Amino acid sequence: MKLAGLKSVDGAHEESIWAAAWAPAADHRPTAVLLTGALDETVRAWLPDDLAALGSPTRGHALGVVSLAAHPAGSLAAAVSLDSFIRVFDVDTGASVATLEAPPSEIWGVQFHPKGNALAAAGGGSGSVKLWDTEKWKAITSLAVPRPEGARPDKTGSGKFVLSVAWSPDGRLLACGSMDGTIAVYDAVRMKFLHHLEGHHMPVRSMVFSPVDPHVLFTACDDCHVHIYDAREKGLVGAMSGHASWVLSIDASPDGLAVATGSSDRTVRLWDLNMRTSVQTMSNHSDQVWAVAFRPPGGAGVRAGRLASASDDKSVSLYDYS
Amino acid sequence: MTSVYIPVQGTEEEVQVALDQLPHDASDILDILKAEQAPLHLWLIIAREYFKQGKIEQFRQILEEGSGPEIDEYYADVKYERIAILTALGAFHTFLGKVDRAPQKESHFKDATQYYNRASRIDETEPSTWIGRGQLCIAKGELQMASDSFKIVLDEDENNFPALLGQASVYFLMGEAEQQHKKSLEHYRNSLDLYKKALRVYCNCPAAVRLGIAFCRYKLGQVEKARQAFQRVLELDPQNVDALVALAIMDLQTNEAGGIRRGMEKMKKAFEIYPYYTLALNHLANHYFFTGQHFVVEQLTETALSSSNHGLLKSHAYYNLARSYHSKGDIETAGRYYMASVNEISKPQDFVLPYIGLGQIQLKFGDFKSSLGSFEKVLEVHPENCESLKAIGHIHAKSGETEKAIETFKKVTRIDPKDHQAFVELGELLVESDWAAAMEYLKTARNLLKKAGEAVPVELLNGIGLLHFEKGEFEMAEQSFKEALGDGLWVSIMDGKVGSSMINWSVQNKDQSFFHQLEGVPLELHSNKVTTLFNYARLLEELHDSVRASIFYRFIIFKYPDYIDAYLRLAAIAKQRNNVQLSIELIGDALKIDEKNPNALSMLGSLELQSDEAWLTAKEHFRNAKEATKGDTYSLLQLGNWNYFAANRPEKKAPKIEATHREKAMELYQTQVLKQHRSNMFAANGIGILYAEKAKWDVAKELFTQVHEAASGSIFVHMPDVWINLAHTYFAQGHFQQAVKLYQNCLRKFFHNTDATILLYLARTHYEAERWQDCRKTLLRAIHLAPSNYLLRFNVGVSMQKFSASTLQKTKQTVDEVRATVTELQNAIRVFSLLSVASTYHSHGFDERKIETHVEYCKHLLDAAKVHRDAAEQAEQQNKQKMEVARQIALAEEARRRAEEQRKFQLERRREEDELKQVKQQEEHFQRVKEQWKTSSNTPGKRKDRSKTEDEEVGNKKRRRKGIRRKDQKTKMQYGEEEDEYKDEPEADDDYADLARYNGADNSERAPDHLLAAAGLDDSDAEDDMGHPQSAIERKRRAWSESEDDEPVKKPAAQPSPGADGLSE
Repeated sequence: MKLAGLKSVDGAHEESIWAAAWAPAADHRPTAVLLTGALDETVRAWLPDDLAALGSPTRGHALGVVSLAAHPAGSLAAAVSLDSFIRVFDVDTGASVATLEAPPSEIWGVQFHPKGNALAAAGGGSGSVKLWDTEKWKAITSLAVPRPEGARPDKTGSGKFVLSVAWSPDGRLLACGSMDGTIAVYDAVRMKFLHHLEGHHMPVRSMVFSPVDPHVLFTACDDCHVHIYDAREKGLVGAMSGHASWVLSIDASPDGLAVATGSSDRTVRLWDLNMRTSVQTMSNHSDQVWAVAFRPPGGAGVRAGRLASASDDKSVSLYDYS
Repeated sequence: MTSVYIPVQGTEEEVQVALDQLPHDASDILDILKAEQAPLHLWLIIAREYFKQGKIEQFRQILEEGSGPEIDEYYADVKYERIAILTALGAFHTFLGKVDRAPQKESHFKDATQYYNRASRIDETEPSTWIGRGQLCIAKGELQMASDSFKIVLDEDENNFPALLGQASVYFLMGEAEQQHKKSLEHYRNSLDLYKKALRVYCNCPAAVRLGIAFCRYKLGQVEKARQAFQRVLELDPQNVDALVALAIMDLQTNEAGGIRRGMEKMKKAFEIYPYYTLALNHLANHYFFTGQHFVVEQLTETALSSSNHGLLKSHAYYNLARSYHSKGDIETAGRYYMASVNEISKPQDFVLPYIGLGQIQLKFGDFKSSLGSFEKVLEVHPENCESLKAIGHIHAKSGETEKAIETFKKVTRIDPKDHQAFVELGELLVESDWAAAMEYLKTARNLLKKAGEAVPVELLNGIGLLHFEKGEFEMAEQSFKEALGDGLWVSIMDGKVGSSMINWSVQNKDQSFFHQLEGVPLELHSNKVTTLFNYARLLEELHDSVRASIFYRFIIFKYPDYIDAYLRLAAIAKQRNNVQLSIELIGDALKIDEKNPNALSMLGSLELQSDEAWLTAKEHFRNAKEATKGDTYSLLQLGNWNYFAANRPEKKAPKIEATHREKAMELYQTQVLKQHRSNMFAANGIGILYAEKAKWDVAKELFTQVHEAASGSIFVHMPDVWINLAHTYFAQGHFQQAVKLYQNCLRKFFHNTDATILLYLARTHYEAERWQDCRKTLLRAIHLAPSNYLLRFNVGVSMQKFSASTLQKTKQTVDEVRATVTELQNAIRVFSLLSVASTYHSHGFDERKIETHVEYCKHLLDAAKVHRDAAEQAEQQNKQKMEVARQIALAEEARRRAEEQRKFQLERRREEDELKQVKQQEEHFQRVKEQWKTSSNTPGKRKDRSKTEDEEVGNKKRRRKGIRRKDQKTKMQYGEEEDEYKDEPEADDDYADLARYNGADNSERAPDHLLAAAGLDDSDAEDDMGHPQSAIERKRRAWSESEDDEPVKKPAAQPSPGADGLSE
């Protein structure tokens, strides 16, 4: 289990890069495409093997892109900007497909349902997860995060500020992480709140379910820790520490054996899930690493694992994962 | 059975007296002896027999009777027997004198002398008297006089056996007493010669004579011959204890197992033969000491003490007793016996060992001065005795004389470069002052131990680990700690074998039961490893592996529930993870163990300071901490910070109270902390803040700059606050560049660029410097980091609005610029409207109307911008036209210039022609004048000519000036245009003035005294809440972590250092 640096593009954007996502290979396109979004209000696409730029930057993501998600079919992607719009666009042409918003809620993390029929978005201060269908781009519902029993109301009113969302690979569970560190888990079939996962007390900015075990949820938190939860059984089953600062992003390897994290300590770490320990630290970035993403399996002739990372230092890096 | 026969007076009969059946009462015999006027030699025989049987009283009775005046009278002619009786008595008293204690001693010797004197009066040439006198002198220690006595005899008869023996023993004793080695050998040699002679004179002499030979040979270093001699003695007299003991000692001195065993057998045999032989008793005691049979030791030494008056032997005996008690741990008794042992010897050269023991015990009782004295006595005898030197070094170290201690230990390492203890001590002494040397010494010690194949002590490895730790060499440190800890639960934890779900969950919930549930894992934690495990956990924290660190702390608490530091570290980890509730609970646990623990109190206080309800009780805890530590720097600082914090609480209160708090804070920083530690950076920083609040910028800046310099010089000090404070000061004085630089450095250096508050300060600086784009980007970054901070969103709106407005104000805008402005305004409107709607269910502290106003204003601006855009587009068009016109004008100008030049040229040529003409004319004229001179003398034409040339010149000038004038007019026109544009400005400014008023008068609020706090773009009140306490809390946090960081460093001091215990024989 290791990472080997393949390629880095310095100055991939004019400003800090805050989001990255892989659009999987599609019928019309044999390879996956890496998408990155930045403070420079653009989204760019990159070829998977040499990080050659694909087309010109898509502009108009006002105030900077904070989150990116690709539709599992590979042709569409959603970008969230600080102006609280979700812009759905065609990966290959960059053409706008839909612009979504849920005012007055701002939008943070977004994720497509693994089957691709819905888009979930973390609704920030509205304390809810917003859902849209992906055919007509109509809002389906808004899942409110209930306040945990006994919690004291704080100054911001609702107390919950939702930052991140994650679907389980079987599409049965939906989790959302918030500023105060609690994670709400929903039954995604019946759209019902199940319970809170506790253990973090600082913002949870990124979450991912294990691709091999649909109950297991990995969370990245400002408390420098990665937690491993059994999202169904409501249990903290593990914690991993090692980052010197906030853990900003997390992704699970397609083989389910490892997770990669990006941190404001400027490093990318690879964690062995059996040993529950950090096995490798990549220090090629010179500023906060806001996004890490494993390339999804599939596509022509790409058996090799790939990990991409994007950073405040305006660079994008690609690693071989084996 | 031998008997004596006392002849009955006047008859042929004799009374038979069986010598083994002598009556108990000597008077019976005496009566017979007197009645029958028995020959004196019979008296002697009977007396001697009593003596042999140990009936000393009877012996004395007979001899004293036999030396009485009646006998002298009656046996006046029996000289020899009378002398024999007197010398016997003399010898008896000599013996008593030798054995008895001081007061009786003297009287016995006096008696002995008197008897000899009487014997001499009977016959002064009698050799036995002289021999007796000689023995007496030996007993009194007057060796020279003894020698003289024996010499008198030997002069008379050089083969006198007793005299030979006497003289030999005198020489032997002289040899013993002699200080100089050579001379003493000379004496032994003389002694040996005399013993040999004695043996030749009397071949069948008692075995004891050979003993003399043997001792002499032993003393002369002829060990083999001595051994042979002792063995010969034993052959002749198997019961000879002296020979046995001597041989035993020689065997023991071989220091081999076999030799020691043989020696001990001989010792035991000697003990069986004669149980009161002190030397044997001492040796036996010594042996049993090493075999650990302390009871036997005590018995033997007590016997030895009661059966000897010899100082040195008694000293040995006391020493044995002392040592026995010492090893049993009864150091008070041991100390007394060591003292007794020391008192028995006159100079340390005789027997130095008890001084070591005494020194150790004095050291243990903390009597450094006496202990030092004892060990220095040892050094008098053995100047290079490492154990004593180490003890002395230890005493120096304990009494704070580090320099002396280091010197002493260095001496030890010079004498014995393999003494690992000395290296360890050196290392520990140098830890504070010289990192590299300390490391070197500790490593040497470790290598020595490893080479010797000995186990390296946990403390030593811990020390090495800590040194690496301090230097930031974490891998090396980890290696050392691991080596020190060896095998245990921690290995499984590090492997990842243990540390699963259960532990993670339990660690967070303070549940210890999981340790019980662990199976097949060793759960031991020896007390000497606790510190190392704690340090290892600290190291893991430093490596950011707080999960494992927490498990280690939990394990320590599980095994040693009173280990407060482990609770506090767990609390600190919980606090770092923002789990305040757990943190407070853990501190509560710690306070249950020790309610006055200053660290726990301080920590609790700073936690409470963060919460809204408990900040008042924080003061109580800081105060308690101060009292518990008797007012150390840290607790004073905290109190100072608390006062500062209290002064800046947002609650409405009298300005008087606020001022009082500030004054109190100042007093604590300045007079209390700085008085103790002149270089305390935290106090200086605090004072700087207080000055800054009074707008005394120069003083504040001076302070901050100094602290900043000091803090950047040290890798151990983390003081981001002073960076921020200094930046605030620069900001307040308008040095935006420097402020930006400092904020950025601080963010990068201390916060991994994650602190949204500092980004806010940075944004405000950009704002003041009117760098709108930088400001906007900085704010966007801040929002990204702190998504729920709506204030930042508002500020972004303002910055975009400002940017747009300022773009629109610019004299020239490109179309792109104006288009960007339009977009920006649309964004601003979106931001404001989102905020406006959000505020319906969020109470984020904005006045909805205010946001509305901003929206309105932005919309207005947007309209204006659109106009501007159109205008700009138009202007662009016009510009193009203008440029075309300008080009044409330029062309025309060019043409005109050329024409002008042409004209000028022609003019010039004409002028030249004119001049030529003039010259010609003048010449002509001259000719004419000449002719006129010839005829008349009037010259009106001359003036006319001159004016003509003048006119010519003025005309040229005028033309040139005209050209300039034209240029002037052109510039004026441009200025005019600009002036018009300036005129536009006031209107725009008016708009901003309005805006400023809407914004809560943020311009007026921007007075310097609020600058430190109001780093936001707006809402200076809200900023006050954030800015000030922030830095205060930060400072506290830093200060706290600072004190925590000290802990591992302090640890080694708490280690039991090898001292008294390690220095046993």
